[in-house]
Amino acid sequence: MSLEKMLPDNVVLEINNLSIAFGGLKAVDNLSFDIKENEVFGLIGPNGAGKTTVFNCITQFYKPNSGSILFNGNNGIVQNLLQHEVHEIINLGLVRTFQNVELIRELSIMDNVLIGAHIDFKANILQQALRLPKAVNEEKVLREEACRILSALGIHDRKDMITGGQPYGVLKKVELARALMCRPKLIILDEPAAGLNDTETIQLSNTIRHIRDEFKCSILLVEHDMRLVMDVCDRICAISFGKFLAMGTAKEIQQNKDVQAAYLGTDGDE
Amino acid sequence: MKIKTNILKNPHIQFIIFGIALALVPALASAGVIKSSYVTIIGGTLIYAIAALGFNILLGYSGLITLGTAGFMGLAAYISAYVTVNMKLPFEAALILAILIPTLIGILVGLVSLKIEGIYLAIATLCVSEILRKTFEELEFFTNGFSGKSASYPQLLGFLKLNKTTTYYLIVLVLIIIIMLTYNMMNGQLGRALNAMRGSEAASQAMGVNLLKYRLVAFALATIYASAAGVLYVHFIRFSYPSTWTLKLSLDFMAMVVIGGLRSIYGTVLGAFIVFAVPDMFLKEIPYFNQLSYVFNGVLIILVIMFYPNGLIYIGNDVKKLISKFKKKEDKYESRENAAG
Repeated sequence: MSLEKMLPDNVVLEINNLSIAFGGLKAVDNLSFDIKENEVFGLIGPNGAGKTTVFNCITQFYKPNSGSILFNGNNGIVQNLLQHEVHEIINLGLVRTFQNVELIRELSIMDNVLIGAHIDFKANILQQALRLPKAVNEEKVLREEACRILSALGIHDRKDMITGGQPYGVLKKVELARALMCRPKLIILDEPAAGLNDTETIQLSNTIRHIRDEFKCSILLVEHDMRLVMDVCDRICAISFGKFLAMGTAKEIQQNKDVQAAYLGTDGDE
Repeated sequence: MKIKTNILKNPHIQFIIFGIALALVPALASAGVIKSSYVTIIGGTLIYAIAALGFNILLGYSGLITLGTAGFMGLAAYISAYVTVNMKLPFEAALILAILIPTLIGILVGLVSLKIEGIYLAIATLCVSEILRKTFEELEFFTNGFSGKSASYPQLLGFLKLNKTTTYYLIVLVLIIIIMLTYNMMNGQLGRALNAMRGSEAASQAMGVNLLKYRLVAFALATIYASAAGVLYVHFIRFSYPSTWTLKLSLDFMAMVVIGGLRSIYGTVLGAFIVFAVPDMFLKEIPYFNQLSYVFNGVLIILVIMFYPNGLIYIGNDVKKLISKFKKKEDKYESRENAAG
């Protein structure tokens, strides 16, 4: 596939005609949208709409059947994500969080955050084993970076605590901190409000804005919680049964007839 | 004074002090404080501890279950014996060959581990180990079959002929070096990547951890440790029988790591002592029950798993907590008494 096509200046991610089928089920059908720089973009849809599948296609956990996913990476070169392996995606500046927090319970919060800096460690295993200056310095610099991010998220005082047994809201923040370690251009959040109470959800929307402004990145939100989505998203894309429904601001989406029908059903259904 | 305590808190200094303490064993034995047979028992235990550290990298850090450790350790032992005795090559050449060949096989097993997991990986590695053991029995020109292969104490650099005591020092030296390297690796990027792989494959991949690379690294490290232990074994015990390298030994490694403490370096060494040294050194001394020493060991293992599932090494922390609790209570009483007085 040629990459002749350049992305418009302020676009970070462009999805074109994405389709993926599992057996006979078309989970995502000819879906297209784009995300601009410094934008909080919401992807919504009723249960089983294919939100998480889109997500997994972007991060290459699934390989789509057709379509393209172009990403304007850290190095300024436009890449087709389909040509990369799962573990290479983060190198381009695209990082994700997980719906059910995926942290290592036995490690300290600091160590969990440092896993996000995995790709930034350039010292090889021998240099690490012998604790040569290169490895020591890298570790020191990245630890300071992790401290800075943890302070920005307000959980610096917990950095040496063991991750297992921390409150859910803290775990979500640790995962965010881990994602921020690679200085991403785009963070994809998979249902960040799942399992949070009302106060925590309000805090979360503040955190999301804060992250966008301080770390200068775009955020793609895949979410069920409508209050959060309507509150923080600049633009929203609604899908249903893998198909594009509507795109626009929170207000436009709320008033869209197709979206209402998808969520609430139409009179004809009954 | 403060600087002094800081130095003592440095883990590397602690490892060196630990090594020096272990190196005192032969001196204590010749002074008559402990039995001279203890040198052999403790030396053997330390050799097993080296292989168990490799096993801990696989099971503790990476979450990969393997039952092939005994086979690889035996293979290294036979290669080293064959190269020094039959081919008359120097000890260093034997060491390199005996580590290189098993490690290559270990990396192949690592490749397999990408496809199969959990209990199936355990069975696959067990098969590799059993194939090796059967080879030790049948390939007589190489292993001398059931009658066993003998080797001599190592001769370093072609002229430094070691005896039992100096070989023991060599074992302690190798153990401490491996402990330090393991500590550095497991507390850096590599250790975190292995932990991430164990915690969640999806998350580790999303963070840029290449599963293939790190599985291979984990298996390579574990096999290098097991091979180094095998070489030391054959040149310290000076005999290798096929019956040594059975499933029981692999299970013993698992017992050491689980009893001592997953992801704990001192825990692994402690586990090796409990599994290998305790029955020989203490339990056999109990009158009428000396035949049953290994039964006691089994009971001990069950008790540890029931009451200390994280490993015995954490007993120290709990005792400390208990003492500080006790102290607090005493302080309270004292302050009350003072207030009353």
